[in-house]
Amino acid sequence: MKKSIIAVFAALLFVCLQVSGAAAAAAPYYAGKVIKIVVGYKPGGGYDRMARLVAKNLPKYIPGKPVIIIENMEGAASIIAANYVYNIAKPDGLTMGIFNRAIPFAQLTKLQGMKFDLLKYAWIGSTAVEGTVFAVRSDLPYKTVDDLLKVKSPLMIGCTGTTDISGQFPTLLKEYIGLNIKLIIYPSSADIMLAVERKEIDGRAGSYSSLKPFIDRGLVRAFIRGRVAEKGTEGLPVNEDLAKDKKGKAVMFMFAAADLIGRPFVCPPGTPPAVMKILADGFAKVAADPQMQDDARKSSMEVQYTSGPDIVKVIQSVFNQPADVIAEFSRHVQF
Amino acid sequence: MFEAFIQGLIMILTWKSMLYLCIGVVLGFAVGILPGLGGGTTLALMLPFIYKMTPGEAFCFLLGMHSVVQTAGDITSILFGIPGEAATVAMIVDGYPMSKRGEAGRALGAGLSASLVGVIIGALVLLFSIPIVRPLVLSLGSPEMLMVVLLGLTCISSLSGQGKRALLLGLMSAGFGFICSLIGQDRQAGILRFTFGQLYLWNGLPLVPVMVGFFALPEIIDLAVRGTSIAGDLPEGKLTAGVWDGVKDTFRHFGMTVRCALIGVFIGILPGLGGGVAQWLSYAHAKQSAKTPEEMAGFGRGDVRGVIGPGASTGKEGGALIPTVAFGIPGSSAMAILLGAFFIMGIVPGPDMLTKYLPLTFSFVWILIIANIITVAASFFIMGYMAKLTLIRGSIMIAFILFLCFIGAYAESNSIGDVVVMLLFGWLGYLMVIYDFPRAPFLLAFILGKMVETYYYISATRYGFDWLYRPKVVIIFALVILAGAYPFIQNKLRFRKGGVS
Repeated sequence: MKKSIIAVFAALLFVCLQVSGAAAAAAPYYAGKVIKIVVGYKPGGGYDRMARLVAKNLPKYIPGKPVIIIENMEGAASIIAANYVYNIAKPDGLTMGIFNRAIPFAQLTKLQGMKFDLLKYAWIGSTAVEGTVFAVRSDLPYKTVDDLLKVKSPLMIGCTGTTDISGQFPTLLKEYIGLNIKLIIYPSSADIMLAVERKEIDGRAGSYSSLKPFIDRGLVRAFIRGRVAEKGTEGLPVNEDLAKDKKGKAVMFMFAAADLIGRPFVCPPGTPPAVMKILADGFAKVAADPQMQDDARKSSMEVQYTSGPDIVKVIQSVFNQPADVIAEFSRHVQF
Repeated sequence: MFEAFIQGLIMILTWKSMLYLCIGVVLGFAVGILPGLGGGTTLALMLPFIYKMTPGEAFCFLLGMHSVVQTAGDITSILFGIPGEAATVAMIVDGYPMSKRGEAGRALGAGLSASLVGVIIGALVLLFSIPIVRPLVLSLGSPEMLMVVLLGLTCISSLSGQGKRALLLGLMSAGFGFICSLIGQDRQAGILRFTFGQLYLWNGLPLVPVMVGFFALPEIIDLAVRGTSIAGDLPEGKLTAGVWDGVKDTFRHFGMTVRCALIGVFIGILPGLGGGVAQWLSYAHAKQSAKTPEEMAGFGRGDVRGVIGPGASTGKEGGALIPTVAFGIPGSSAMAILLGAFFIMGIVPGPDMLTKYLPLTFSFVWILIIANIITVAASFFIMGYMAKLTLIRGSIMIAFILFLCFIGAYAESNSIGDVVVMLLFGWLGYLMVIYDFPRAPFLLAFILGKMVETYYYISATRYGFDWLYRPKVVIIFALVILAGAYPFIQNKLRFRKGGVS
């Protein structure tokens, strides 16, 4: 009995897929449609700029050339946008979301108000890796990590909060490598850089792409990077290698997941696989598109596509850590 | 240097650049007039269009658009009593009462001409400060910023009404503003304050819905109660006649206009304070210029100086460009997006802007001036028609204004929570009007409250107690005390004069 029911369902599913396949062949699914990208931040930031580049360049790689528009839904470090895409947006491939790359840590630490399971989204993939670097003012007399380890009075490090990467990365350096660091919290990255400029603070941690203009200009020098390297940071010492104990290495490994996730794009759970394939193929192609790469470089970003399944693997590697490592991680990293 | 200045002008005097400038101005005008649609969002929307432009053309387009948004926003504030932009709320306080009195023409004339003067002064400051800009911006650290914010807060006393009772009500209003500014995730420890389990409140109460509700809804209720048009039942001729009177008013109070513009420039230079603060402080300064208690009481009921002051605060446009250009560090979200435009053009803002790209930097001065001259000139042609809008029957206007309010509030973050916040604060604002609580102190404390906390925290964690002894901190603190005591001293002097006569 059970078997026959399954067989009937399988047959139905087969027919459905055939029909939708045939329809797709007749007229592309996306012909005349509008795709909305929900951005979890205000206009102007890195996530928003990436979404707008995708909106500009992706249509030509999706059969039917849909129009892509951006909707900024800022708030709660993009949890609001993530909740919206998970619970409210229809799974028809016409809504995508892009949100905080550190979002796995929200789920790991069971953040209140979070209403999604990351592993259940229909993952398109990520359009960039975002390597984190720790940089200190060039006019200070430090040349190597050893110099930094020897400082007497604490290094004043600017960050935008203890619950984001700019605060967490230095916290881990302090905890597991023994850097003498004091965190000072500023309202925004712009305020931090201005404080660095007027020598109120000594440095900061942040994504390499956002620090690059200041490194190029000679204001700060990068000293340490996370596991994820980018063009220009390959030679820097890696925080995991500098960490003394095993637990520290494991925590830093988990932390590097955010860098790999970079600029994550998802669709609502239950989006049909056929539609997801169109989108994933489109993303893979647009990431290699010379125009897209050129546009991105002009906005001081690098495009690099990581597929959905690979991102899911990264998230699972965070969730599947032993309980004691997760407990240690949660001690230092809150969302 | 003079050569570079002329090169900057030549750079934008091509027909293509001028065309883009005009397109930008039209867009900026539309965005400014419509409440809710902010300058920052529009800049972000327009960014993809600049990839194929030259730097001169791109900045004509973007900066031209951005620099006229506030000028246009003032028009909405004056005519309908709803803020066209987050930065133009202070314009409502005296601008709208003038419209209600049938002096919309005069208010527009004064506001727009003051705004033009403000922009030109801001642009000139940008021009002359270029050589000294780096030390200027670098000399103000977080402790100094804290003191500057405190200085801003002393305006609460002049933004409250006259007399002890009014001052008490003003302070209560400001206290409530402080409490409201605490809502949201606290920056230092990540603790959620007064969020009641709502993700919506994580980032604090959104500014635009609060302001639209607070200032516009009570006016709409008032309009409904009066049952007339905004300008009451006045003969039509009077409305438009006053435009030139308004322009003359600006020049009659030219000294004050310049001072308000300089306040705008100063606030613009300081990163993070924002246009709203600039306009409120300019307004407070204008109010302090009143010489007698009767004059003081006239503010808030349609004194033309209360329109000129906020209008002139557009000096901030030039000021805000200074940190962006000199350091590549934006002072506001709109400037952050403009910074993106620099990178797209292949330019790294910073010291290069003062050497290699000096003509481009100077062209910004020209763009600010030309874009605003075009806007104000065009506005003068249509001002008569705009002023007539205040004669449309109230029952029709209410529907239209209410529609704009809802759209304006909702556009902030596309959340129904914005509409709820607007309605809630509309109700609160109405209660405050009925019970004589001044609303401006609330808003000033609401905007500045978070900054006091932030800068105090940074000063204390970075310097311990040492920041208290920094010479500049001591000097500005002395100014704070003086500014706080000034209205009382002024009152005493007035009383004495009154006693003698």
